[in-house]
Amino acid sequence: MKIDDIVKTLDGTLVAGGESDRTVGAVVANDLMSDVLLNDSEDILLLTSLASDQAIRTANIVGAMCVVVHNAKPLPSTMVQVANSLGIPLVSSPLSKYESCVRVHDFLSNESKG
Amino acid sequence: MDYKPIILSGGEQRSDDQIMAAHANSLDAGVKRVSGPSLPGTEDSPLVIMELLQRIRVKDVMKSEGIHSVIRTDSMRFAQNLMKRNKISGIPVVEGKRLFGIVSVADIIKALEGEWIQDEVQKHMAVNLVVLEEDMPLAFAIKYFQNYSFGRFPVLNKERDFVGIVSQRDLTKVLMNELTKEVVRLEVGGAERKEERKTDAQLPYYSMHQFVVVRNDLSNAGKAANEIKKLLNEVGVDKKIVRRVAVAAYELEINVCIHSVGGTITFILDSDKATLIAKDRGPGIKDVEWACQDGTSTANDWVRSMGFGAGMGLANSKRVADVFDIKSKVPTGTTVMCEFNLK
Repeated sequence: MKIDDIVKTLDGTLVAGGESDRTVGAVVANDLMSDVLLNDSEDILLLTSLASDQAIRTANIVGAMCVVVHNAKPLPSTMVQVANSLGIPLVSSPLSKYESCVRVHDFLSNESKG
Repeated sequence: MDYKPIILSGGEQRSDDQIMAAHANSLDAGVKRVSGPSLPGTEDSPLVIMELLQRIRVKDVMKSEGIHSVIRTDSMRFAQNLMKRNKISGIPVVEGKRLFGIVSVADIIKALEGEWIQDEVQKHMAVNLVVLEEDMPLAFAIKYFQNYSFGRFPVLNKERDFVGIVSQRDLTKVLMNELTKEVVRLEVGGAERKEERKTDAQLPYYSMHQFVVVRNDLSNAGKAANEIKKLLNEVGVDKKIVRRVAVAAYELEINVCIHSVGGTITFILDSDKATLIAKDRGPGIKDVEWACQDGTSTANDWVRSMGFGAGMGLANSKRVADVFDIKSKVPTGTTVMCEFNLK
């Protein structure tokens, strides 16, 4: 699953951070950044409801490959700036976080089968 | 610009919230860079000045002794004479340690014109005062002078006692002195360091970096962790270790930002270990053991809305570090040290 797939699967829009060809290594759905920091996985896809700079900075610390913010929440301009400057793809999705989890799970299951 | 000053009405005590709001707003208002490297590595940067403005406190520039003051029942005439004799343009109305108002030259002129120069000062003094707190960084004081036409600000301590007065003149004098010292230091040290860099282009296997963390400035929190991560990657430290150091740096930075009145993150990189030291200036932790447990938190809703404050900060830092140490004293502050073996 790459950025393009994430955007399509989650009906999202790539708002910042630019293209990248990294592949999802693990999925973390969380709004609590301390929990995210505890995670040891590589190439994390971070599904969150936290529309703040700190979601991006946390993603940067753990080397996440993409951050998705849900419910079409308005993104602060500073969040977009930080995502651009750190080069972390930021996707805005109209879906709920739960719906996103389900769709990402289905996509990854099909991918591993296919 | 939405800029809320700290205003004291006639001796009333101001709340911490007001102070915080004013701090946050004055940061928005123009004190731009508050987090960034400071020791070796920044010699060529204007950050040196920013750091100076953060490091020097209002109490370092204020006049605290020999301040002329009047009490509420003194006459305007008495205040006028005192000001004339001592060539000062404003005089605080103080009883004991409590500040009630200020009488300025403008008030005296009005009193002469309106023929109420014999009245008691409490009838005509200015009571809605914009005050500074002695521990505020100089940057705030400068901002205040820019935003208000006042020539001086009264200074209060944490107990709300009147402790001094800052005038633009005092401020400029101290700032010029400090800048001169800093320039001398950079000129002497800069030449030597440039030599060193030439011979050791590979990044320093002993380097020290310090980052200033400002209270409640969450928009800048995380910058130190990011810089530290970059530094470690540049020297080619194992990615897993880099991540552990970055996680601790981030958590500690957030802690200093949301729980303390401000402080610093110092990062020391040695050939076989990396050390993080988070040091704040208060208020200190009463029960350190309790604070280090998972899930214990004193954070407010605002902090939680930013994705933090679940009480994982110290526990997380401890978990990722090879050596963890915390010392705290109320009210002077907390120092947390995390050490990581690089080999």
